[in-house]
Amino acid sequence: MANGRRVIIGAPPQEAKAYLELVAEHGSPLLVFDREILERQYQLLSDTLPDVELYYAVKAHPNEHIVRALDELGCGFDVASAGEMDMLMDLKISGRRTIHTHPIKKDREIRDALRFGATTFVVDNLDELEKLVPYRDRVGILLRVSFSSEDAAVDLSRKFGCDVRDAAGIVMVAGKLGLHIKGLSFHVGSQCENSAKHVEAIEQCHQLMEEISKSVPVPMSTLDIGGGFPADYQLAGIDISSFCAPIRKALGRLPRDWHLLAEPGRFLVAPSVTSITTVTGRSERHGTCWYYLDDGVYGSYSGQIFDHAIYPLQVLKDGTTRPSILAGPTCDSIDVIAEDIQLPELEIGDLVIGHQMGAYTAATKTRFNLLPDARFVCRYDNS
Amino acid sequence: MKHFKETLYDAVCQEFRIDKLYFENRTKHQHLMIFHNARLGRVMTLDGIVQTTEADEFIYHEMLAHVPLFSHGRAQRVLIIGGGDGAMLREVLRHPVEQVTLVEIDKAVIDIAKKHLPDHSAGAFEDARTNLTIADGLEYVSDTDEKFDVIICDSTDPIGPGEVLFSEEFYTQAKRCLAPGGILVTQNGVPFFQLDELKVTARRMAPHFVDATFYCAPVPTYYGGFMAFSWGTDDTRLRQTDMATLHGRYDEAGIKTRYYNPEIHRASFALPQYILDALSGTS
Ligand SMILES: Cc1ncc(COP(=O)(O)O)c(C=O)c1O
Repeated sequence: MANGRRVIIGAPPQEAKAYLELVAEHGSPLLVFDREILERQYQLLSDTLPDVELYYAVKAHPNEHIVRALDELGCGFDVASAGEMDMLMDLKISGRRTIHTHPIKKDREIRDALRFGATTFVVDNLDELEKLVPYRDRVGILLRVSFSSEDAAVDLSRKFGCDVRDAAGIVMVAGKLGLHIKGLSFHVGSQCENSAKHVEAIEQCHQLMEEISKSVPVPMSTLDIGGGFPADYQLAGIDISSFCAPIRKALGRLPRDWHLLAEPGRFLVAPSVTSITTVTGRSERHGTCWYYLDDGVYGSYSGQIFDHAIYPLQVLKDGTTRPSILAGPTCDSIDVIAEDIQLPELEIGDLVIGHQMGAYTAATKTRFNLLPDARFVCRYDNS
Repeated sequence: MKHFKETLYDAVCQEFRIDKLYFENRTKHQHLMIFHNARLGRVMTLDGIVQTTEADEFIYHEMLAHVPLFSHGRAQRVLIIGGGDGAMLREVLRHPVEQVTLVEIDKAVIDIAKKHLPDHSAGAFEDARTNLTIADGLEYVSDTDEKFDVIICDSTDPIGPGEVLFSEEFYTQAKRCLAPGGILVTQNGVPFFQLDELKVTARRMAPHFVDATFYCAPVPTYYGGFMAFSWGTDDTRLRQTDMATLHGRYDEAGIKTRYYNPEIHRASFALPQYILDALSGTS
């Protein structure tokens, strides 16, 4: 994602009006959720991976409006903590439609998950396997294997996942402990540039599962291909169907009776949420104009720190541009959203729009300076 | 939601059509749902697990109440732990007992069951012999000075608020609360799917009772064949109560039952081989 930031100067009058109206009605800063975009993303992904059950990675944006919209579409949920399960329970979503994917758990967490009704758990080592022994009559286990991926923006294979060479051994031990490992899972990393890693992982898992199944009495039949489906931070028009075509082909070579799962987070929610912030102050320094916004990297833009995302920005004004800096509202000097960008002269009260801001944005916001959160509003919502 | 899918096991699950949803919410202690199903009548679930249905509740409640009560023969003071739907209370009150104490941790279950599952309690909470306490079952048996002839544990499964009722400490304290010749019975899951639960209970109860065993009844919506009920007492003769005595007590009580009868009573202590093997440690 190193290829810089997209900045859009100016907006068609209709679009500008819509942003201004939202701020007039709800104040600033905002995160504006467009349910139709989420629905479109879900549809696109399920159409392109028709044999894969989708479990939305709640961590990407644990928001009740988002979860409810996906629930109504029939999407499942990938949960990783008691807090996430608690939220789904409040929304009356059955645990039967969820999988618990955190490889490292306290006993309390396992019990909470079982009470909630999540019976699929992920492990990647023998200690975790043993933790599930008391619940072996109830659970189904996925063994997470690790495939490192240099080109993913966020490599998730370093922290979790067992070595492919250790998988068979862990499955054997599980069998002796009376635990059933029903399949494998992997997560090649988030925001992948292409699907080569997915394909490679699918092929390796296929081979591994076939091999292991020969020597264990219960066949392995579930493959969870994780997340990694990209958001379009360059606004370049990523075609998810082309991205997924090789994945679909690789999955097509698996036995027809295998259960296929995926845990998309970013792809589903990123484009469905737009940030609106307001210029609250200005300052001229060394020939650069500093604009202080009412949201920043401790808030909605936290993904620029934690998730290494660079969101496309937009100002509504047109005109001659000059070097500018967009800074957040906290006292910390790290709280800078964008440096060295060319913007037209902005005034106090002008809006700055952040696109593709649905995933790992509000999810990682902090309470620093006790500034108010960006308000989450639903577009087209009359309630 | 148009269907209820039970969340007990990963590999298999029973599914009920929801024909009318009466209640769904989180109480202070658990997730509670009551709905109507055309075949089963009203169904109550807690934390995604079937607790009782109008169609088959008689099997469960008759067996957990009448087996210890007719075995005992003179029970005056009975303690029910759990059983917030009131059906266990209803069955126990059909016997000429002096007092029945019901200890339920979740008052919401009682209130909501009274409203949406009224035939379960059928007025039992209003009986003058009923003594209702909202408390944690383990704390109650640990603190009380009362003695009971029969203690019935009508709990949820061992994960959740019912957890402490499967602890060794609970069996210790329950034993302490039993009058001489008293009996403890508990619901202990469906061994076909929950064999570990059976083994753990057997291991924890054994040190506290001279006669610790299980008896069985098949409750259709406790999916998986026989449900096991644990049985603990120091009077080894109670389990052997002969047919004539049982018949005498049953006839005298004049209780009309739909599953229980003295023959079933005796037969229910006969355990299938897979259960015996599990208990003897050969499986
Ligand atoms: C286990 C797991 N599943 C799914 C996801 C979602 O990945 P993505 O947002 O790339 O779809 C993550 C992200 O961190 C994850 O850790």
